[in-house]
Amino acid sequence: MRSPRLPVLVVILAIVAAGTWYALSHRGARVGETIAIYFTKEDGKALGDVSVSMRPRQIGESAAEHLHNAALYAAVQAVAGPPNDVRAIRFPPGTRVNGLKVEGSTATVDLSKEVERQAGGTFGENGEFKGLVYTMTGISGINAVQVTVDGARLETLPGGHLELDQPLHRSDW
Amino acid sequence: MINRFIARTGSPSAGVVLALMVAAHAIPALADGSFTAIYQRHTVRFTHVASSDGTTAIGIEDPGFQTLLRETGAVLTWKPGERYILITTSAPVVISFALGDRRYDVGPIALQASFAPYERGSEPYLPFDEVLHGLGLGQRRDGSVVVLQPQLDALDTRQDGNRMMLFAHGGAPLHPRIVRESDTAVIYAFDGVGTSLSGTRQINAGGVRTVQVSVSGTVRNPTTLVTVELTAGAVAEPPRQEERDVALTFDGAAPAQPPTTQESPTAEPAPEAEATSGPTLITGVSVHPGSDGVTVAIAIAGNATYEWHRLRDPDNRFWLDIKVAQLQGPPIEENESAPLVSLRVRQGDANTVRIALTLTGPKPVALTPSTTGLGITVGTQDVADAPRSGSGSIGSVVSESQQNAALVTPAPLDQSASGSENPEDSTWKFAPRSKYVPTNPRLIVLDPGHGGSDRGTIHGGVEEANLALDMAKRLRDILIARGWQVKMTRETDVDVYAPDDSPHQELQARVDVANHAGARLFVSIHANAYINSGPYGTTFYVSKPDDLAFARTVETHLASDGTKDDGIVKSHLYVTLHTRMPAVLIETAFLSNPSDYALLTSPAWRQKVAQEIADGIGQYAQEYPVPNQPAQ
Repeated sequence: MRSPRLPVLVVILAIVAAGTWYALSHRGARVGETIAIYFTKEDGKALGDVSVSMRPRQIGESAAEHLHNAALYAAVQAVAGPPNDVRAIRFPPGTRVNGLKVEGSTATVDLSKEVERQAGGTFGENGEFKGLVYTMTGISGINAVQVTVDGARLETLPGGHLELDQPLHRSDW
Repeated sequence: MINRFIARTGSPSAGVVLALMVAAHAIPALADGSFTAIYQRHTVRFTHVASSDGTTAIGIEDPGFQTLLRETGAVLTWKPGERYILITTSAPVVISFALGDRRYDVGPIALQASFAPYERGSEPYLPFDEVLHGLGLGQRRDGSVVVLQPQLDALDTRQDGNRMMLFAHGGAPLHPRIVRESDTAVIYAFDGVGTSLSGTRQINAGGVRTVQVSVSGTVRNPTTLVTVELTAGAVAEPPRQEERDVALTFDGAAPAQPPTTQESPTAEPAPEAEATSGPTLITGVSVHPGSDGVTVAIAIAGNATYEWHRLRDPDNRFWLDIKVAQLQGPPIEENESAPLVSLRVRQGDANTVRIALTLTGPKPVALTPSTTGLGITVGTQDVADAPRSGSGSIGSVVSESQQNAALVTPAPLDQSASGSENPEDSTWKFAPRSKYVPTNPRLIVLDPGHGGSDRGTIHGGVEEANLALDMAKRLRDILIARGWQVKMTRETDVDVYAPDDSPHQELQARVDVANHAGARLFVSIHANAYINSGPYGTTFYVSKPDDLAFARTVETHLASDGTKDDGIVKSHLYVTLHTRMPAVLIETAFLSNPSDYALLTSPAWRQKVAQEIADGIGQYAQEYPVPNQPAQ
């Protein structure tokens, strides 16, 4: 006589598999990491921040990839700036993040050429990059930000004042 | 004060949720491969399309999709091999998708898409309905034709003194026209734009009594009407195109007596009314471990209300907002021992101090208001079903000596900051006196910014390069008359290194003038500018510890130069960073601001500024004599 245990085991396994599939495919937007997006207020010096949630590390996403994704997300958010009803120093309209890479603890943020359309004053460039650097270095594992424009490292922005050919740190402000 | 029309709660994020919730019902499944839709009277063809079960996926390389992104001012960030697909709308709001994950984020809000983005070939496909909603486009049907209707998806109010501004933002550039204007109301028409906003909102501030939104027209050619009911004597200004929005501005009647605060108490009575009684100060935060846990003691001077929240285990974060309060001193961010993981104290917004604790587990938290503030005691034993939120008020009686003790801890760099402090203070703020010994202690190097092929900022035909040279020459003459030696990095309208040189060459050449001469002080003179006309004032940029005392002394003399003193800002500026002597880069005023422009173009004002900088140099030299050298 065949043991009745086998069909029972199969049914249990099927239920567990179905439950796992359901849980994975219907998992809700649970609270994950939070990233503070810093911006410089229009007094040119004080920082404000808004929080955005970061999706938790996904299945198959390595720690290095997750750090890259978090940094990319933070950079895009920092360049976008806070909602428009918040008074903040903003990157010139049209500025976008072309790409990002993390090497060691330095994140290299490649910005589009529009970033050079700043009005020529120290006020804008100082405020923009201060917010970006504070945002990026708020991510665990990143403590410096190298800025490039369309893939090239610049000494300063055209007509600018801020030294950009070395990585920037929070302590620069 | 900021209120958001679409979010009756006043929360900006609720507006996004509402806009998404009321979004039109999804269009039934469209044929696999391609379809067309009307967007702003143009036919847009989508060819990278896949659909099933009533949902539509759009490839990010689809030409029609690229058109929509371009037309709505959105930017997509993705590279082959990357998991995240990020869309920055013109709002700006970042919409975040990830391959294989149904979760997507619109700004700070996490949502669930109808399906997870996936790759077909090497092209990511996104849930089309969700993308459209995020871009501020409503899907409508006109018979069998799909219309992608731009939506007026936000109408935010911001009060500034006796003025009220309504910021309109939508899924297309907005060009409102005034269809009717009287003493009591103005009606604006947004042609080609629909909206899910509707109804009437009471404002009663800044000259605006109510704002009403309604829609008329057809699916293909809708018109959204915004009716603004004015209070007696209020004036409507013409619509103004802001960076990304259209601003409708109203000027309320002048008040009978001078206002005591910038904000009208009518729009948000409770906190603003309290604010007029004087700011409550958070004068200290200390951590006291005990046998049953740990107590975080918050010293408070004044009256305040507080509200606290905690998240559910396993996310054991607890935070407490104290309103209306100002944090006295720098923010705190510290790791703590169990049952705490960390403590963070910062100025959340202008009127709120946030104390955030991360706990090692679902620990009990008890709040004890006292005469000197508030105690937060965290126990060691885990508890189930701990309360998740609460509120209360604090009436403190902090002694005068305690207040004074707290107030003698200044943060020199931020003395003039009206908002929150920097999240991380520089460690050299209280640096010792300079050890730099100039080889020529009577020499001042003046650096007129820009020049030659680099004109600096230009407004109304006025060039920063010329203004800087003019002020530097005036300053030179005063200093020489007072017995100083002066060397200029440029005496005429030229590049210091060479025409069309690199920034590094040019700036290093200016630094070299001062370093090679062994000058005592370095002053770089500039005029500031920004992309809008709002900011104004004089700012002093420094980079090295040695710069601070010098900048502070000069600032004292320029504080009454006729514009605002924006204070001293530490930054990574080339010339202040690489000069060896105390240095300051002075952005004297904003060419982009009308009142500052009037000052900068006045020779008398430029002479006054030169005089005041010279006075500052003189005072600094007296107070900070060169080591082993007689004072000036």
